[in-house]
Amino acid sequence: MSGAAAAVHGLSGTRVAAAALVNIRSMTPARLRALLTAWPDPREAVAAIARRDRRAVEVLRSLQHQGRTDLEALVAHWSRRLDLDRVARVLARRGTHVLLATEPDYPFADPVPSRPAVLLAEGRRLDAFDAPRVAIVGTRAASPHGLHDAFELGAFLARSGCTIVSGMAIGVDAAAHEGALDAGGRVVGVIATGLDIVYPRRHHVLFERAKAHGCLLTESAFATLPEPGRFPVRNRIIAGVADAVVVVEATIKGGARITAERALEYDRPVLVMPGSRRNAAAAGCNALLADGAHPLLDPSDVLVALGMTPGARRGWARRPRLQGDARRCLQACGGEPATIDQLASRTGLDPGALAQAVAECERIGALRRERGFLWPS
Amino acid sequence: MLASVLSATLLGVEGRLVTVEVHVSNGLPAYNVVGLPDAAGRESRERVRAAMLSSELAWPMRRVTVNLAPGGLRKSGAGFELAVALGLLLASDGLPAGCLDGAGVLGELGLDGSIRPVPGTLALVDAFHRAGLRRVVVPVQNSGEAALVAGIEVCPARSLGELRSCLKGEQAWPAIPSRRAASAGTGGGPPDSESPDDDEGLDLADVRGLRIVRRALEVAVAGGHHMLLVGPPGVGKTMLARRITTIMPALPSHEALEVTRIHSVVGAVESGTLVTRPPFRAPHHTASTAALVGGGSGRAHPGEVTLAHRGVLFLDELAEFSPAALDALRQPLEERVVRISRQSSSLTFPADFLLIACSNPCPCAQPPAECSCSPERVARYRRRLSAPLLDRFDVRMWVGPPEAGDRPGESSASVRPRVKAAVERQRERYAGRRWHRNGGLPPGALRVHVVLDDVAEQTWREIIERRALTGRGAAAIRRVARTLADLEGAERVSSAHLERAAMMREDVP
Repeated sequence: MSGAAAAVHGLSGTRVAAAALVNIRSMTPARLRALLTAWPDPREAVAAIARRDRRAVEVLRSLQHQGRTDLEALVAHWSRRLDLDRVARVLARRGTHVLLATEPDYPFADPVPSRPAVLLAEGRRLDAFDAPRVAIVGTRAASPHGLHDAFELGAFLARSGCTIVSGMAIGVDAAAHEGALDAGGRVVGVIATGLDIVYPRRHHVLFERAKAHGCLLTESAFATLPEPGRFPVRNRIIAGVADAVVVVEATIKGGARITAERALEYDRPVLVMPGSRRNAAAAGCNALLADGAHPLLDPSDVLVALGMTPGARRGWARRPRLQGDARRCLQACGGEPATIDQLASRTGLDPGALAQAVAECERIGALRRERGFLWPS
Repeated sequence: MLASVLSATLLGVEGRLVTVEVHVSNGLPAYNVVGLPDAAGRESRERVRAAMLSSELAWPMRRVTVNLAPGGLRKSGAGFELAVALGLLLASDGLPAGCLDGAGVLGELGLDGSIRPVPGTLALVDAFHRAGLRRVVVPVQNSGEAALVAGIEVCPARSLGELRSCLKGEQAWPAIPSRRAASAGTGGGPPDSESPDDDEGLDLADVRGLRIVRRALEVAVAGGHHMLLVGPPGVGKTMLARRITTIMPALPSHEALEVTRIHSVVGAVESGTLVTRPPFRAPHHTASTAALVGGGSGRAHPGEVTLAHRGVLFLDELAEFSPAALDALRQPLEERVVRISRQSSSLTFPADFLLIACSNPCPCAQPPAECSCSPERVARYRRRLSAPLLDRFDVRMWVGPPEAGDRPGESSASVRPRVKAAVERQRERYAGRRWHRNGGLPPGALRVHVVLDDVAEQTWREIIERRALTGRGAAAIRRVARTLADLEGAERVSSAHLERAAMMREDVP
């Protein structure tokens, strides 16, 4: 029934059927998993819905939290809405890949219990999954230091041959993706919306770059809008796809902590960058460390955790060497952001000398101006 | 029988002459006021009548018509009542004809015949003076203020009865109450008081640390550069800003008169006191647009920007002001006057002020390393401050929490002479120009007045590149460098001045 359109771009009927199930509006990951457990072949699941099989209703009823939904009516509704040809046309037009948990190209390394039965992917480099995959996650409200570290980690790991997995969000996610892309690496962006939605909008360029040098991955149907509840659920995919998870800056209750906890559940190594107690955006990191996560002191620690040889590659970019007043200024920061006045008080330099020293630090990139403060790099 | 007496009304912060004509004719007893009076003017009948009866003067049981000319001008206030009463006396031969020739009359009447003060006396008397009048009758409470205008005889009036005797020559004029020493000298220059007496003992030495910010404050005052302070609450932004007037030189005499006139209009000045210190106005962030720039319903009132004329307008919590109010600030910042257009008229208020503003960096107002605001929240907060407004701040500093070893800084008394010298240097350089401070230098005049040698020019270009400055930012740094040079008494702007200027202009929050 879907043969003609599917054959055009080489998608098997199985995968088209799976995509059709994903794209039923009231389908949930749990319902999909239940149906595909009962009928491991998606085509059979589609057929069961089409003939309004009593067993389909029974399968759905066995799930928790179904409330007072009239499941018979639901299945009947689904049977009317299933249109494999239309789905096949959309998949063909967009070049969407359908990844099934039962197939060898499914990106999860091991069968963790809550993994999605079907994933949709778009992008030119599906081979991104062939390399070791490192997720870099963190808060959206990251400090300039956090953003800088995420960028540097993304670049270093990409140069070491890893694929960077993250959630395409603003803050740490985007910085990690950009670091990897700028270093010529591959990325996997795991999104909570449909593949045809760009969220956040300001990342439309990043979305294009991710598709050109990697792929976007989702379990959501097309046209799924960003709903708050979907993001924490999405995080289990980030944890599951990755071979190791790095947390750069995380708040106490943020999504990055959820990702880290899922990763521990799935037995993936979790490396966490320690942060200052003053930094609200690092409190979650320090909590994870207190719970026994592995501290990340150098980017090569990630390679060790993955069982790779770190090699001679240097981790963090070397700090520039400074002399005289410029050196005093940098030392006066003590690794934390400072205002020009704080530097004046701490160094005792007169305004003219201070201006010269700060200008020199800025010129060679030892201090960076961000949010009105001077940040040591 | 007809009599006319000269009086004046306020139009904005300027006085306008008004001729009060009183016509007494046969007919049914009546009292009508024509010539666009406001409600207070229309109510004058009862006050004038009671005052005359209380002063044992006859109230004509005839038809009285009062005309306030020119007829097309809206008049405000009760300041004509004394003129009406005197007009009635003249018309009914209660006073010798000609006793008010060449004299202006101001005053409100009480029911007991006493004469009450009127707001804006200085501006009104100034209008009489400019019209060539030789004498002015003012309420005794306003007489000190009236005496600030040179070259006009001030006749203080306490009550209607006494005034009548004085005008008839039966009694001597009461004395003008003595004023505070600080404002001695009728209309002459203000005493060269360098130590401000109205700053409640504030001193820059109270502020610990903040070595660069206090220098930036000095630059802002000396060069007339608008200044923005960004930082978490409790780090001393407001404390510093409150002390700004302590390092400002006293107002020169013509500016002191100008400022006193404005403040007298809103009744904000003790009568007879010349304002010699630059005003400091700090409106709350709930201030409406009209309160900030002037206007409002009825008579157009001067706003905070006008009250801050020749002084400082301090806006704390800048981002909390309504966007409309902040937007309305842009025109006075640019033109140094406020134009208020009404259906029938258009007014111009002076508004040449130094804007000092404080803002939190984000809603949580914590230092950046401790800030927990989401990027969207910060972006939304910062969008309240429009880029054109932020561009007007030549000096922009971030204020961090104080340091452990911070010591009290220089005192106001030692900063003030430097500022004064720099102000005078600029006044000399810009004599005959539209601007008188470096902060007002238009971009086109930069090449002429802020000459850079090759080395400095190269430094300037390097700063622009390093800091990714816009054209406005580059011009601001050049202006501030000029002020830094003026503070040092240097003829030329050097690379070091430019680097320090760049240090005083942080990126937009």
